[in-house]
Amino acid sequence: MNSGFFVLLALLAVLIGIALRSRTDFGPILKRLFEQFAKLVPRMLCALIAAGFIAELIPKATISGYLGADAGLLALPVAAATGLLVPAGPVIAFAIAAVFAKAGASNAALVTFVTSWSIFAAHRILIYEVPLIGASFLRLRTASAAVVPFLAGGMAMLVGLISSYGAPAPM
Amino acid sequence: MPPLAFLSDPDWRRATLADAFGKSFWGFLTVAALTGLACLLLKGPEAVADALVHDRDLLLGLLPRVVVALSIAALIWVLLPRERITDLVGRDSGMRGLAVATLAGTVTPGGPSSAYALLAVLAVSGADRGAMVAYITAWATLGLQRVLVWDVPFMGAEFAFLRLFVSLPLPIVAGLIARRLPLVLSVKDAHGERVQP
Repeated sequence: MNSGFFVLLALLAVLIGIALRSRTDFGPILKRLFEQFAKLVPRMLCALIAAGFIAELIPKATISGYLGADAGLLALPVAAATGLLVPAGPVIAFAIAAVFAKAGASNAALVTFVTSWSIFAAHRILIYEVPLIGASFLRLRTASAAVVPFLAGGMAMLVGLISSYGAPAPM
Repeated sequence: MPPLAFLSDPDWRRATLADAFGKSFWGFLTVAALTGLACLLLKGPEAVADALVHDRDLLLGLLPRVVVALSIAALIWVLLPRERITDLVGRDSGMRGLAVATLAGTVTPGGPSSAYALLAVLAVSGADRGAMVAYITAWATLGLQRVLVWDVPFMGAEFAFLRLFVSLPLPIVAGLIARRLPLVLSVKDAHGERVQP
């Protein structure tokens, strides 16, 4: 996780270097930074707190019963819906995925779950997407990407028919 | 003019405060209070305390990232030549535009704060809607940093590769769908006016 932060810091340093060399006026840059920060951070605080509570409330044990190989195609919509409901960052989402994997969830269900979470995680929509881009983009994007988790899960299912590659090794 | 002159502009201060603590802020606060209440009633005070401690740790880790990511986006916002973006991923960029957007999303480092802040820059620089959808879908499903930092350690390299492999074409599929959907998209441009990419 920290490695990612260092990448960002390095990128920031390079960009500041470029701005200094081209004698860019920092006024508009700082103004944009303050505006985006004001838009983001107060809502982020509330959304994070709500997300933490919702993550406590999700019935993980009940759901994992529906994700096994014997659940067949039904596992995909259940996994996709669960991905929608995890309003939290990767720590919690992947911890839940590992719980499902240990409980015997199929590869296709796990792929669907992770993909659905990564595309539709509710906290990300509320904290970042709506304040920074707007509701009309959210509508367009969700309508366009709604099939993506199912396509990913379906493809994983097809791969499963011809090969056993891709078995999870949850920590 | 000193770079922080805008801070003493009363109109700017009022508008920014209204943005920060507007209607949606109170909506968020209400949802947080309601979920907290549900958690207290269904799971008891310990679960509430657990969640709050976790939130605090998350927030302390997150704030520096958000500041750095927004600084990067603000710098790119000013430094990036807008015409170049229009050429690369504009309305007439076709499949190549979707492929470029997918690649950009895949290599964008950092979490949602950097990806969405960059998307906001793309949106007002003439990127087309398909490219915007492809970019964020690629960042979400193919993002290399997430695969390396989260998929591999939590789920194992084999599963991570399987997920990456089956997801490869999907950002472009989503982008193609976005170009055909009859939905109106409008975003605020640099001067706060609504434009339709």
